[in-house]
Amino acid sequence: MNLAMNRKIALVLILLCAAGSNSFAQTNSTPGAPTAAIAAAANQFLATLDEAQRGKLVFDFKDDAQRKRWSNLPSAIFKRQGLRIGDLTQPQREAALAVLAAALSPQGYQKILQIVRADELLKRSSGEAMFGDEQYFISLLGQPSTTEPWMIQFGGHHLGLNITLVGQQRTLAPSHTGAQPAIYELEGKTVRPLGRESDKAFALLSSLNESQRKQAILGFQMRDLVLGPGRDGQTIQPEGVKGSALTEKQREMLLDLASEWTGILHESVAKVKMDEMKNNITETYFAWSGPTEKGSAAYFRIQGPTVIIEYAPQRLGGEPTKHIHTIYRDPTNDYGTKWWKR
Amino acid sequence: MVEALTRALYRLSLLVALLAVPSTVFAHRDDEYLQATLVTIEPNGILLQINLTPGIAVAEQVIARIDRDRDDVISADEASAYVESLTRDLTLRLDGRNVELNRTGSEFVSPEELRTGSGIIRIEFSTKLAALLSGTHKLTLENRHLTTISVYLINAAQPRLATIQITGQKRNDTQSVGEIEFTFHPLSSNVPASARPN
Repeated sequence: MNLAMNRKIALVLILLCAAGSNSFAQTNSTPGAPTAAIAAAANQFLATLDEAQRGKLVFDFKDDAQRKRWSNLPSAIFKRQGLRIGDLTQPQREAALAVLAAALSPQGYQKILQIVRADELLKRSSGEAMFGDEQYFISLLGQPSTTEPWMIQFGGHHLGLNITLVGQQRTLAPSHTGAQPAIYELEGKTVRPLGRESDKAFALLSSLNESQRKQAILGFQMRDLVLGPGRDGQTIQPEGVKGSALTEKQREMLLDLASEWTGILHESVAKVKMDEMKNNITETYFAWSGPTEKGSAAYFRIQGPTVIIEYAPQRLGGEPTKHIHTIYRDPTNDYGTKWWKR
Repeated sequence: MVEALTRALYRLSLLVALLAVPSTVFAHRDDEYLQATLVTIEPNGILLQINLTPGIAVAEQVIARIDRDRDDVISADEASAYVESLTRDLTLRLDGRNVELNRTGSEFVSPEELRTGSGIIRIEFSTKLAALLSGTHKLTLENRHLTTISVYLINAAQPRLATIQITGQKRNDTQSVGEIEFTFHPLSSNVPASARPN
């Protein structure tokens, strides 16, 4: 019997003995709701906490250090603040998740759960305590409100969600999503938290003619995100094929690809963002680096006047297609600043 | 009862999922030294913002080059000496002529943080341009710093003013060399690029 098999059997035994709770069971809350419902969910969560916990959870809205305290890295390496999911009781965890469920679309909420479950699998297969579904943090900046600006942060390994709310306006920018493993089996189904992003990108690439491909494909390696965590306020010169050079069908495919990020939030605000992207589609670029065979490890970027999206397979930890980092930014409105900053 | 069953099924499904996960896992930068450079071109100067992130497996090599007395503290002198060594490994050319780089800022995290694979050293260089002529120009940056362990990113920042327009970017395969073509038209008013008509 080989070493790998012994390892897996050992892990199975550990799992069978484990009586750990399921931190991320599906909540019954209705995903995707207006700001009032999100604020109500946040207030319900606050009501489950004692004073010390509320003190840890809530930051001043003007606390820029906390606003920018997010990363793709595990919490043991990058120190987050707020409340750790693993330190909450089960009712408190459910109330915390209900806040996310209220703020996100059903598919966005599902994506987040799948990313977190991937990290739980990573913990169990690696034996590293720094991974796992208990190592995620939630925090609020400002008080839940339907009029005043406030913010929900939820993050941990491969996840940095920054949701800024100002009245009925909401933005997810900047946010990081990622996954390792980026493909796994759960409940008899193959789960790919970021699989639609990859599938849609390859479909768009394969729709390009020779001239368009020549413009889209960058002739050099892209080993990481350019505008990942810690790159606030920076904007790069766009590259790749311009939307004006795409057919109507290809433009639709590009928007559909971008919707995998813009659609993480509730559809009402996602539609506003998508309408904005449609208006800017001729000024939006699609760039590609790496192999072009479907399913291979390739980097791509979407960049328009109000959006930057990057998708970067990572060479760290084996097969790059199984370890993905992505970033979503709005160069004109990261953290919703145009709605509240004077 | 239903909830207990749901949780049992969840644990069982995680168990099945686990069997499908490869045992080789490592989740952060390991054996590469990422050197990411953002190049900002203005009518009167050029700014290079370089973020240096050593992976866990190469952190000691990088720290050894910075913390020369091995006291596990990066002193101001050690930081300056490292910036000097980086400067020697960089060549910036404008229209074929070498341009002098001046350090305008640097931020070193502790060796302890660098060893995590997440610590970022930030260094800024700038150079003043006395009289940039109207027309097309070519800026070339070559980075030869620790080539055996490094991976590179070089990108032009989107210009802040309409007088500067990036017309092309080329890199070699590893991005250790980047070439930025741009135009300068001083007669355009110095309005923000965002206000430029499409």
